[in-house]
Amino acid sequence: MVSKIKTLQEAIAQIPDGSSILFGGWTVARKPMAAVFELIRQGKKELHLLANPAGPCADLLIGAGAVKITETNFIGHEVLGIPYGFRRFFEKGGLDKTGFLHDDWTVMTGALRILAGSMGVPFIPAKSLRGTEIIDPEHDLLADLRGKSKKLPNKKVQFIEDPFWDEGELLLIPAIKPDYAIIHVQLVGDKGTVRIDGGNFLDYYAAAAAKHTIVTTELVTTEEYLQKHPELNSIPSEFVNDIVEVPYGGHPTVVHGAYDLDFEFYNKMVDATKKEETYQQWLQEWVKDVPDHMTYLEKLGVRKILALRSDPGLGYNAFLKRKP
Amino acid sequence: MMKAYNLRESMAVHASRQIKNGEKVIVGTGMPLVAAIIAKNCHAKDAVILMEAGPYNSNPAALPSCVADPRGFVGAPWVADPVQMMGMILQQGRIDLGFLGGAQVDMYGNLNSTVLGSYKNADVRLPGSGGASDIGALAKRNLIIIAHEKRRLVEKVDYLTTPGWKLYPYKDGKRIQGALVDRSELGYQGGPAAVVTTMGVMKFDADTKVMYVSEYYADLDVTLEMIKENTGFAIDTSRAKPVVPPTEDELYILRNVADPEKIFM
Repeated sequence: MVSKIKTLQEAIAQIPDGSSILFGGWTVARKPMAAVFELIRQGKKELHLLANPAGPCADLLIGAGAVKITETNFIGHEVLGIPYGFRRFFEKGGLDKTGFLHDDWTVMTGALRILAGSMGVPFIPAKSLRGTEIIDPEHDLLADLRGKSKKLPNKKVQFIEDPFWDEGELLLIPAIKPDYAIIHVQLVGDKGTVRIDGGNFLDYYAAAAAKHTIVTTELVTTEEYLQKHPELNSIPSEFVNDIVEVPYGGHPTVVHGAYDLDFEFYNKMVDATKKEETYQQWLQEWVKDVPDHMTYLEKLGVRKILALRSDPGLGYNAFLKRKP
Repeated sequence: MMKAYNLRESMAVHASRQIKNGEKVIVGTGMPLVAAIIAKNCHAKDAVILMEAGPYNSNPAALPSCVADPRGFVGAPWVADPVQMMGMILQQGRIDLGFLGGAQVDMYGNLNSTVLGSYKNADVRLPGSGGASDIGALAKRNLIIIAHEKRRLVEKVDYLTTPGWKLYPYKDGKRIQGALVDRSELGYQGGPAAVVTTMGVMKFDADTKVMYVSEYYADLDVTLEMIKENTGFAIDTSRAKPVVPPTEDELYILRNVADPEKIFM
């Protein structure tokens, strides 16, 4: 059997420009940041990003000019500040100027769309969204591409009267069928069995929905070890195509039980994204002039890496200074 | 004279009082989390705190900085994934109270967390709904927490992200321009029960579904005139009463248990 273990460069190099990528994790938690930086390093273009919800994974790629389309319910940094990349491309004529396209959804409907994708069904009903502007076709920035692009559903939503139980009107929403899923986890067996510690978010469904799943991991272990407690495992190797070992590959987001959110680094990063010029400088310093993830970690430094470590029992670092 | 507490602390305490003991409350990042932790440590010890990222019956020892922070997962008896928490528990209608924030709230309690200005040429792009739109539609009751400013409490939201009392009807997939429909006509239960601000507690008229001032922070020298000046529509103050001020216990919990690091305060 061919090994699934790849380097980060190899795993990302196989992704063609224009691919749709579904990121695992949640806003500023367990995001596959080393992979995001490698996508920027390799100069990927016209990406179609999905995440439920997105954080720096989308904002940094949009700001870097690597993104054509996003479909998600949220792009932000939570308490850590404003998503300046997203804002620059969206606000005040930005959409017209850049050609960037965004499709707004919600956590529940996004989750159900990924669930539908994971089940191999083309759509699923949902009770929310009606009455809001999220489904207003006037706001559908993807309207011109629907029916033409194979990566997009022909319509955003379809109203339907419950044909089975007379429960009234609801919406059908389309499955998400990404080319790639990229998720970052704590532990993977050498054949691809995944064990996630803490919140799993939608990573299981994402891995099952994608045509090709890349799992970056803090550590690769033996399948024999993971087989001692199969009930603790989160994703079967069935849904995993590539395994990439990247310790601290979620930095600066938080990875449950491994390391906490790097507030200091994160705040500086968001500050840098405020202006195109300062963001380009930041990208030069932390991504483009850094040949690989190991060099990124060397630049981060052993003191920082050790200071962020989480208590594996608590899941976080109880003594981390969260405010400057 | 320097007051013993400020408007923002009052907002957190009065929001916490809206949570009843034993209720299942789904909270978002920020002030809702702070208020829920105050409630759980004061009058609502049996409240069940849920977060859309997964924590079920969370009782954190340290304030989570977001709903996916490991601090929210520790000590919970079960961790859901968002299909389970939102697609099942919320969509079944099992959640008593949704606790939401936003950039704008209108006279009917509709929330905007998407754009300021027009959608395609926005003045400000906000992060987006997250789970707010689903929670606003499907929880049994909603509570909104927002700073009391004229640009935030508006007659009509720039973009209707999250359902309040009066929503936009659609026909053949297209929005019927200028029309509003009661949320109950779309089959949604509940609706916003209160809007807790930095000036007081607003509620909604049972018949008209329009927001009015129910209580105000007279203890912090807030006047009804100030509320009128800082509200973007003509708000009814005729039913307003001074609030019962925060207790020492509530303030102690807020400052020493809920958010001692001042992450959100």
